[in-house]
Order: sequence, then C-alpha cells, then structure tokens
Amino acid sequence: MSGNRKDEEMICALTANEHTALQLGLRELPDTMPPREVWHRIREQAEAEGLVNQSTLRRHSTWVGGASIAAMLLVAVMIPRLISVPTEEFPVVPQNVPSNGGELTTLQTLMVQSRQLESDLRALPEAPRVLRAGTVATISGLQDRIAAIDYQLNDPLVRMSPEDRELFWRERVRLMKSLLQLRYAQAQRAAF
Amino acid sequence: MSKFADIRIDPGIVKRAARGDARAHEIIYRAFATPVYSICLRFTKVPAHAEDLVQETFIEVMRSIAKFRGEAALGSWIRRIAVSKALMFLRSAWTKRGQALADDWHEVTEGNAASHGISSHPDDAMDLDAALGNLPDVARAVVWLHDVEGYTHKEIAELMGKSESFSKSTLSRAYQRLRPMLAGPESDMRPQTAAVRSC
Repeated sequence: MSGNRKDEEMICALTANEHTALQLGLRELPDTMPPREVWHRIREQAEAEGLVNQSTLRRHSTWVGGASIAAMLLVAVMIPRLISVPTEEFPVVPQNVPSNGGELTTLQTLMVQSRQLESDLRALPEAPRVLRAGTVATISGLQDRIAAIDYQLNDPLVRMSPEDRELFWRERVRLMKSLLQLRYAQAQRAAF
Repeated sequence: MSKFADIRIDPGIVKRAARGDARAHEIIYRAFATPVYSICLRFTKVPAHAEDLVQETFIEVMRSIAKFRGEAALGSWIRRIAVSKALMFLRSAWTKRGQALADDWHEVTEGNAASHGISSHPDDAMDLDAALGNLPDVARAVVWLHDVEGYTHKEIAELMGKSESFSKSTLSRAYQRLRPMLAGPESDMRPQTAAVRSC
C-alpha cells in the first residue's frame, strides 16, 4: 500500500455533510473577550520595555476609558451633518434612492444604514441583568470592534482613501447588524 | 473564514504603531484582542494561560510591527503570532509533563468523555464546545487550525514541527471522536459506506 493510499484511508472519518456541519458548528462557537486588565498589563510591560512612546501613553491613558464612547457619540453627531438626507423619519434604509434631488452614494447609504441601526439599537429595551457569559463576551467583542473602527474613522491623523472609508463603514454596518441581532434575541428572551 | 480576516486596520494606524504610538497599538489591540484570546483559550482551556498568551502575542506585535511589510493582512500576521505562541505554550506544557507531542490521546477515553458531559446526540453548540474541549490539546489545536482558521496540513505540520501525515492522522482521530456530536442521519452510517470527505 502506498503512503498516499494509507493516508487516504486514515483520514476518511467524516462524510461531506458531517464535515460541513462540524465546520459550521465550530465557526459559530462564541468568541471570548479577554478581561480588561490584560490591556493594562500589556501597556505596563510595553512601557517598561520602551516599546511605546511614553508621552503619548501617559496622555492617552487619562482619556482612553471614555474615548470609545466619545467616538461613538461623535459619529452619531457627525452623521446627520455629513449626509444630506432628511433627519426625522428613516424607517427604511434607502438603496440608491434619489434624495433631495440627488442620489445617495454607497458611502452615504452605509452611513444612513449605520445611523438607522444605532437608532434601532437604542429602541430596544435595556439588556436583562442576568446574561449568559458567552453572550456578554460576544456583545463586548462587537462593541470593541465597532469602537476600534470609530477610532479610525474619526482620527484626523488617519489618511483614508474613499475606498477604505467605504470599507470601514461597510464593516461597521455589518458589526452593528450582528450586535442588533444579538440584542434583539436578548430582548426576546427577556420578554418570555 | 477565520474571524481574523474580517478585521481591517487602516495602514496609517499600522505605520503609527510602528513608530511606537500607544494609541495606535491600543486600536490594534481592541480590534484583535477577542479573536486572539479566543484562539488561545481554545488551545489552552485555562483563562489565566490564555491571558498570558494574549499579553505575549501583543508584546510581540509591538516588538515586530516595524518589520511588518503588509504583504499579508495584519490579521493573518497577528494570528500567526498568536498560534505560534499558543503552540509553543502547549509544547512546553507537554515537556513539563514528560509527554511527547502526539501522545496525549490516552488522557481522554470514551468513558471519561461521557463523564465530562458529552452526549451522543447533542442539540446545541454547548455540546460541540464540550466535545472539542475534551479532545487532547494537540488534536483540538489541529481541528481548530484546519477547520476554523483554514490552515493546510502542510502549514500545521510546519507550525508543530511534525509531518503532514501527523496532522492528517491527528485530524482523523479527532473527527472520529467528534463524529457522534454531528447529529443527523449520516452520522449513524459507517464512514466506509457513506460518501466520505477527505481531510
């Protein structure tokens, strides 16, 4: 028996459907967010080893706690000014629908979608007090990634091409949708 | 697709991180901390070890990001560092226990797998999670690298300092262990009679 033949027989353990089910199942397992103090430990070590600029580190550490919230708020405040669409009612996300005589660009559509998702999220009831640890971690992970995107979108030092900006907004919308789905499921569970 | 691939960081942030900008490093950390921690926790199963590995990974990112040329995605580069750190940790743990890399299958027998709460026909992800957690360390790592992160057997073999056959046979044994978890009509068929998929 050749080596290859032997390998083939050894590895025939799952059917195609089983393998697909396994891959899907594994990829759907919840992510886990590290405890907050891990970043502080990394920061301390980085400072001790001289890996980061200490002046920016110290200045940054005073406001970093509220920065992600501030970035989120800034986005929420800026969006209505950046786009020329009516601000009162927006129940349906427009898809290349002319507005105010013009046509929304893809970027504007993504911004509107993002704003609508923010609004939908705010409309949901408060998160229940008792939550599954996995759900909390997943929600926190999504929020962190959204905050990381907001940092970049709002950082005046970041020079972004229009394509990159669109990519970031697209990712933001995708993450917001995931967050909304999770929070919606949470609200539904709490209702029963 | 790996979750690392979904995360994009602006090249300007990477350049700032390469200059030691703490804020840029924090942005990178916030974007990748969860997938890095998740993979480390999958490999080690112990939160304290996973936290240490996250710390080692991001310190390595800080040390080496000036050398990152952007040929691969930043996420792939960070994932490789995390995987390398986690595998190194597993190797050192095996060394401490005086075990060879491939020799930890005896730790989990059918009997104690059942006693760890693995049902023969699970109905949710908790069972798969538990089944995965009850695989030997190296098998769990191979399954995760192959089926979630999309590594090839060649890449897994290189990372582990083993042969491709080792990777394939480990995956095959892990599949046999996980097979009862995949509820469905085909799971009751013997592999020899069903349409089988090569690893």
